[in-house]
Amino acid sequence: MIEHLPYILSQVTMPVNLLLLLVGNIIGMIFGAIPGLSGTLAVMLFMPLTYSMEAGEAIVFLLSLWVGGCSGAFIGSVLLGIPGSPSAVATCFDGYPMTKNGQAGKALAIGMVASFLGTFFSAIAGGFLSQTVADIAFMMGPWEYFGLCFVAITMVLAISKGNMFKGLTSACIGLLLASVGFSPIDAEPRFVFDNMYLMGGLGMTVVLIGVFGVSSIVLSYGKGFDPLPAVDTKSIKGLGITLGEIKENIVNIIRSWLIGLGIGFLPGMGAGLSNLVAYSSAKNASKKQELFGKGNPEGIWASEVSNNAAIGGSMIPMAALGIPGDSTTALLIGALTIHGLEMGPMVFRNSGNVIYLMFFVVALCAIVCLVLQALGMRVFPMILKVPYHYMYPALLVISFISAYVDSSSLYKCGMMLVFAVVGIVMAFGGLPTSPLILAFILGPTLEKNMLRAFQNTGTAATFFTRPISCIFMIIGICCVFSPILKTIFAKMKKKA
Amino acid sequence: MKLKRDQITGIVLILLGVVVAVLVSQFKVPFSVSYPGPKALPMISVVGFVVCGAGIFWESTKSKKEEPVFLVKEGWIRILVSLALLAVYILGMKYLGFLICTPVICYILTTLYAKGSKTTLKGRILFSVALTVIIYVIYVYAFGLGVPDGELFW
Repeated sequence: MIEHLPYILSQVTMPVNLLLLLVGNIIGMIFGAIPGLSGTLAVMLFMPLTYSMEAGEAIVFLLSLWVGGCSGAFIGSVLLGIPGSPSAVATCFDGYPMTKNGQAGKALAIGMVASFLGTFFSAIAGGFLSQTVADIAFMMGPWEYFGLCFVAITMVLAISKGNMFKGLTSACIGLLLASVGFSPIDAEPRFVFDNMYLMGGLGMTVVLIGVFGVSSIVLSYGKGFDPLPAVDTKSIKGLGITLGEIKENIVNIIRSWLIGLGIGFLPGMGAGLSNLVAYSSAKNASKKQELFGKGNPEGIWASEVSNNAAIGGSMIPMAALGIPGDSTTALLIGALTIHGLEMGPMVFRNSGNVIYLMFFVVALCAIVCLVLQALGMRVFPMILKVPYHYMYPALLVISFISAYVDSSSLYKCGMMLVFAVVGIVMAFGGLPTSPLILAFILGPTLEKNMLRAFQNTGTAATFFTRPISCIFMIIGICCVFSPILKTIFAKMKKKA
Repeated sequence: MKLKRDQITGIVLILLGVVVAVLVSQFKVPFSVSYPGPKALPMISVVGFVVCGAGIFWESTKSKKEEPVFLVKEGWIRILVSLALLAVYILGMKYLGFLICTPVICYILTTLYAKGSKTTLKGRILFSVALTVIIYVIYVYAFGLGVPDGELFW
């Protein structure tokens, strides 16, 4: 790795590359912060611009867009209660309540530092582990992927603690929505009603913004707006966070980082899943479980460290196997191919310098994002001073235009409105929305791997005969029955 | 007897489960133990809806706790008005396009949401026009994306 250092340093010290890195991070952060836009969309939009660039310039620009987008997503979650992207869904759960409690500055500071820790150390780990870890992935088949998805979905019981039925119902709605469109492997049209807009499935933007964003705006108008929250910008000193606070959360940070890195590494999964899994793990392990969802900083630490750690994690299979860890790395593989870089095991032999440059750039982007966010931290909360009657119409318009941009069709806007109604109905029934999102994101991966596993062996027994898959299945089953088991154990304890 | 909110939720979920089950039964690829096929995922939802719906209904019937009021009548009216306006906005964009509909809907929503707050007519008009122009410039000129043109002007 050391032999590539001169090339890496020559690239990152070039003025053009430094400028691209700065501009890319700023654009990415703006895309990440605005609900409906994301770092992925930024990469998608600006990718054609990089075709005429040198490979090094293109890598620097595209990666800075991605890291900026992932890092900036917490801003929308914390200040508006609407996730900038799926990777920051769990940040809303405690970030927005903190804002409502007048702790917007603190929530932003946690998000900022957590993003930095997640990205920076995952990039370093990625650089060191990419070649070795790739070998382990060869041992995983559809059984293990199914088991992992099963565990993640059953963990919704931890998120919706206190009402197992409602949490499961929400997850089932997510699975049902995920099954709209052509089924994997058999290509059977499901719930499409001969409508061409439904054949490709329901879009993530439409479901996410409809259920989370539009419904909450309309509902808060129905219930009557709360008074504008107080903003504590004056109390923010330095980074707005002390070393003691980081030390206090160190176990949560390390656990979330490992979850983010691990999930990011698995193909098809990424920051969108890791934040939810890390959040529920943090909640399960916390001594202040009752404060989760009401403004517990531990929730933001977990969500933000894990979703940013997924960046380094998803780069590992991209570099070592040529398999994208998420949608952005899929775009990056395409963009790099145009520059003559074929990702996969051979890339370490042919263009090792470029691979290590990528990990170095991600680590550098983490530092730049931290500086930019530290500078802007006192400005971001000003958004809260905007009265609801100006902010909410603006957000509604942006939400609908985001849905339109997703497919250049107003049909998606109509669908978003339908999902806003779904969100309101769910709120009426007291159904939590986070299990729906988790199941909706994971549904296709779960189904595809389940069907592949059955195609290979024709029996469900293999899910339990393969060791890694068996462990996942046992954990998942324990998660399903955990509320019942806990009640039984509690009763036994009382009797004893 | 007046039904509780959770009892209504339970009944709706069971009915939803039945409807989805009927739709799933129309899929062509059959379900088998050796290969569950495309019916598997929606059937998990069906089982979930029926079991959880029954569970929610049963828990609510068993519970003697009073349910807090979700929304008063005026609140429901406000929600319906908001949703209706958004539906009109989507329809309006289809025929008149983004540039005409957005300032109009922004003005109406701002006026509606500002009830009881101090705002001026001039401020609301300025905001609606400025927001439309800013979004248009960012999406169309900066990012090269399209916004609805309106069928009547196309």
